[in-house]
Amino acid sequence: MSTALKDLIRNPTVAELELVARYAALKADARRERLFEAFAQTGLPGRRAENWRWSDFKTAVGQLDTPKAPPARDPLARDGVSTLRFTPAGFVAPASLPAGLRLLAKEDVQAMGGAEEAPLGALAAALSGTVLVDVSAGAAVHLHMVFQGPGAINAARVVFLLRPGAQLHVSESHLGGAAFSTALVEFTLNKGAHLHRTLYQAGGADEAQAVTALIEQDEGAESVQTVLALGARIARIESRLVHRETGSKATLNAAYLAGAGRHADITTHVRHGAPACTTRQATKGAVLAGGRGVFQGKFLVPRTSGQQTDASMQHNALLLEEGAEVFAKPELEILADDVQCAHGNTSGALDGAQLFYLRQRGIPLAQARAMLTEAFIAEALEGAGELEEVLRHEAQAWLSHVS
Amino acid sequence: MLKIENLSATVGEGEGATAILHGLSLSVPTGEVHAIMGPNGAGKSTLSYVLTGREGYTVTGGTATLNGEDLLSLDPEARAAKGMFLSFQYPVEIPGVPVMTFVRTAMNAQRKARGEPEISAPEFIKKSREIAKVLSLDPEMLKRPVNVGFSGGEKKRLEIYQMMMLEPRFMVLDETDSGLDIDALRTVAEGVNALRSPERGMLVITHYQRLLDYIKPDKVHVLAKGRIIKTGGPELAHRLEAEGYDGVLAEAV
Amino acid sequence: MDCCGGMDEHDETCTEVKVKDGVDAGTVAAAKRLESENYSAGFVTDIEMDFAPKGLTEDTVRFISAKKEEPDWLLEYRLEAYRRWLTLEEPTWARVNYPKIDYQAYYYYAAPKNSAKYKSLDEVPKEILDTYAKLGIPLREAEVLLGVEGAAETAATAREKPRVAVDAVFDSVSVATTFREELKKAGVIFMSISEAVQEYPDLVKKYLGTVVPATDNFFATLNAAVFSDGTFVYVPKGVRCPMELSTYFRMNAESTGQFERTLIIADEGAYVSYLEGCTAPMRDENQLHAAVVELVALDDAEIKYSTVQNWWPGDENGKGGIYNFVTKRGDCRGARSKISWTQVETGSAITWKYPSCVLRGDDSVGEFYSIAVTNGRQQADTGTKMIHLGKRTKSRIISKGISAGRSDNTYRGLVSVHKKAEGARNFTQCDSLLIGDKCGAHTVPYVENRRADAQLEHEATTTKLSEDQLFYVRQRGIGEEQAVALLVNGFVREVLQELPMEFAVEAQKLLEVSLEGSVG
Repeated sequence: MSTALKDLIRNPTVAELELVARYAALKADARRERLFEAFAQTGLPGRRAENWRWSDFKTAVGQLDTPKAPPARDPLARDGVSTLRFTPAGFVAPASLPAGLRLLAKEDVQAMGGAEEAPLGALAAALSGTVLVDVSAGAAVHLHMVFQGPGAINAARVVFLLRPGAQLHVSESHLGGAAFSTALVEFTLNKGAHLHRTLYQAGGADEAQAVTALIEQDEGAESVQTVLALGARIARIESRLVHRETGSKATLNAAYLAGAGRHADITTHVRHGAPACTTRQATKGAVLAGGRGVFQGKFLVPRTSGQQTDASMQHNALLLEEGAEVFAKPELEILADDVQCAHGNTSGALDGAQLFYLRQRGIPLAQARAMLTEAFIAEALEGAGELEEVLRHEAQAWLSHVS
Repeated sequence: MLKIENLSATVGEGEGATAILHGLSLSVPTGEVHAIMGPNGAGKSTLSYVLTGREGYTVTGGTATLNGEDLLSLDPEARAAKGMFLSFQYPVEIPGVPVMTFVRTAMNAQRKARGEPEISAPEFIKKSREIAKVLSLDPEMLKRPVNVGFSGGEKKRLEIYQMMMLEPRFMVLDETDSGLDIDALRTVAEGVNALRSPERGMLVITHYQRLLDYIKPDKVHVLAKGRIIKTGGPELAHRLEAEGYDGVLAEAV
Repeated sequence: MDCCGGMDEHDETCTEVKVKDGVDAGTVAAAKRLESENYSAGFVTDIEMDFAPKGLTEDTVRFISAKKEEPDWLLEYRLEAYRRWLTLEEPTWARVNYPKIDYQAYYYYAAPKNSAKYKSLDEVPKEILDTYAKLGIPLREAEVLLGVEGAAETAATAREKPRVAVDAVFDSVSVATTFREELKKAGVIFMSISEAVQEYPDLVKKYLGTVVPATDNFFATLNAAVFSDGTFVYVPKGVRCPMELSTYFRMNAESTGQFERTLIIADEGAYVSYLEGCTAPMRDENQLHAAVVELVALDDAEIKYSTVQNWWPGDENGKGGIYNFVTKRGDCRGARSKISWTQVETGSAITWKYPSCVLRGDDSVGEFYSIAVTNGRQQADTGTKMIHLGKRTKSRIISKGISAGRSDNTYRGLVSVHKKAEGARNFTQCDSLLIGDKCGAHTVPYVENRRADAQLEHEATTTKLSEDQLFYVRQRGIGEEQAVALLVNGFVREVLQELPMEFAVEAQKLLEVSLEGSVG
């Protein structure tokens, strides 16, 4: 490894040196270099970076070995839906593709906007090729994606272009199975396009996972995103969305359930870069002793372009046991005046009055807690449409181990 | 029979605890309906919470038994399984939990605790439909989350619905008339009266005599400063309505 | 109406409440005379000043300490802070932009000549007294006499009559403290911190730097090295301070940094309400202000700290104005103690300020009520930190930000519940109002919960001034600016209510003045 490469990251950790080595082994490419440099500015981001103070990848990503735990089950897998697989060994295309969808997998790298803002997204792009998916207008297209080991590092990038009027239902299972997984998923929604994205994440106690989504929406485009994250040693689901033309709408919902030794981070950044756009965001979390939940949400309304913004953000978390931690930062940066922006944040235990009401009707404490927690979480899963029941079932299964 | 003897209780914790009940004694024989009336702050709601085991209330003395079995040492759900039902003064909203799911879960949990078989789904739905009809409840309402977005009157009717579904052995109605217009009051009272039986007891807590025109009590107790200071027949309620609490209170001292 | 507030002859019979009423008429008139459109405190007092050599070196620190004839331990404290400061970098995380500060371009000590020798108010130069009179601060002998007269009254009747004891800080030194005798009777120590160092060295030594350590942050460390004067208050066990205590800070000299230090201790069961008012004349250079305020509340004690800050905000093009970098922190050290911060921030070019509470004692309570108004090119980054350490600790945050002109207004706050803070509670409400489309309103709350039995709630909204409301008010015949003022007053009412009465009236008028020219 050349000295210049080694010096890219200041005081590198073992994992960072390994990442540099991986990068060095790939075919030289100016775009790839730019992306890796964007990552190298922070290296694996940690406490010192403002947006990573509660999710310290630098400390959490240790030896990059294949984890011992067997790969997780995929609850979103469905017969008859084409599946894209992203593994440490590379991309596996489905045998057939639905009508209206074209796919191109290439070795070389495509440029990425805002790479500096998303270091782990930039890393994913720098260490992988690009899978391009083009969705044309017509009936709704269904697609499933699985990101899973086994392996040491799983870096993947997939770029979607939704042509005007296109409708895409995409489900993603981020199942770990690698010491470190980082995925970059990009969506461009042309005029009137609809994106329905459902994401499930689960990872082992010795795995680190990052999923970075970049979403850009044109006039009248609409996206509905639903996340269920069960965390890993450290897991971050980050969504960066730009309303870039008038009348675009986004719903960003998420639920996280973090048990002992699990860390689940839901981070969103929404830029209202055009007038009269709407964002609705609801995040719910439940955390057990030894688990940590992180929510960071930001609405940015730039000067003049963001007029008539209508945006609201809610984060509510339950600390189900002592020893649980929930950290939240719901942020507003507003530079236009004709706006309606609000956020709310709560964290604490289940409501005592509700618990008593249930118990007074004869429902035992453990069952009452499970019922209330499930109902609490379920609100964030309502937008998942046909996959709502599947996600609810996963949440139930998680909760059944709680009490 | 509900038997309360020399019951004392505080609300709040540690240094902030306040004594509310001071040696309250009261018996409601099975099959009877008793009313408790009293001025604000007399301890009416505290009594209902102490009987049903709400957190934050501490019993500092005395006993309470239902049909000879101690209540005070039991968890709230165990008391419910023994047949204690509280119609809340302020029914609680439970977002995300539909009424039917809630009541069925409660019913089966109680049955399980008593060693009885669960109710079948068709049987449950049939029963629910019948009771909803009696109470003029919109069946759609029963699919919505418990109490969320319900009006004051709807919430109270939903309490009675749950009571009729769960068929408790003893019922405490805490200010069930508050927030009800006259028509709703009549509907609610009909529901309550339908549950009157030789196997059940009932304690009706109210500030006004109005409710007692519809639910005729066998006895009326006056609660003041954490104690029963006077007991009489239904005429006592009328006297309180006519003379106010002051006269009766003065007389008792 | 031109009572004590104006520059005219002083009327000895008027009460202090009238003084307050008179402030605006008097100062506004004075300001008009000085051709300043909006800033009523923008006049310069012409008196001879005594300066430390410009710039900051170890010698400056020694100079300040020597001027004040300080004991060795305090000089050492300052020097240690100075040496540490040299190793620190100015923080950049706040959402404020300003040209790099040249810390060598400031005077770190400026005092009216011979100030140390004032024995009574009679010796205070007339120019200074006039300055305070213009500001409407009841400082003159007459008020003091009034106070002495009142000293015979019982504490209870004294409370019925609102009276305010004032410590006035002119640039770097305290020039007068009123009502001192009466306070002494109650056992309350209220004096400049320089005097306290001489008279009560043990108390000062015991508490100084225990809430905001000299190592705390860049600006606090700077303050620890060069603090010039400020106020010291000690309220003994079980004493309810019989009157409101107040300090007025005034920056006058050119290129002056003001680094006051305030230390307030409420011993067990004590209560004190303290008011702080700040003004500075208009000058083109940006004046530097880096204060440190430390509050200590022991068991069952309560401290209420109110600030009205209208330092010179700079002109509408962003020239001049005060850089206000302040570290304020209260330590609820005792069980059941309470510290309440209320602030009305309308001035300064740059505000960097987070009055905080460390809720250490079980059942202690912290409150933060804030109104921050920015107009013109002002930038404010302000908020609070509530650190829950003790059991059943409670905090409440109500923040109202109003942005107009081309200003930026940021609420930045932290609520942190630590592992042992069983049953902690917080409620936060942050509302932002935008007037005009060239300003910004930002909300950056950090909420850290490590207790399952804690209950934390945060709500925030950002909206513009409602056109419907504005039209409704104007349709009733109220002019646009007044209509805005009326609606803004409604928006901030919750916080205004927390201010002592006479301050609330002043604050309300200040809001109006601050928002002038923000519409149309």
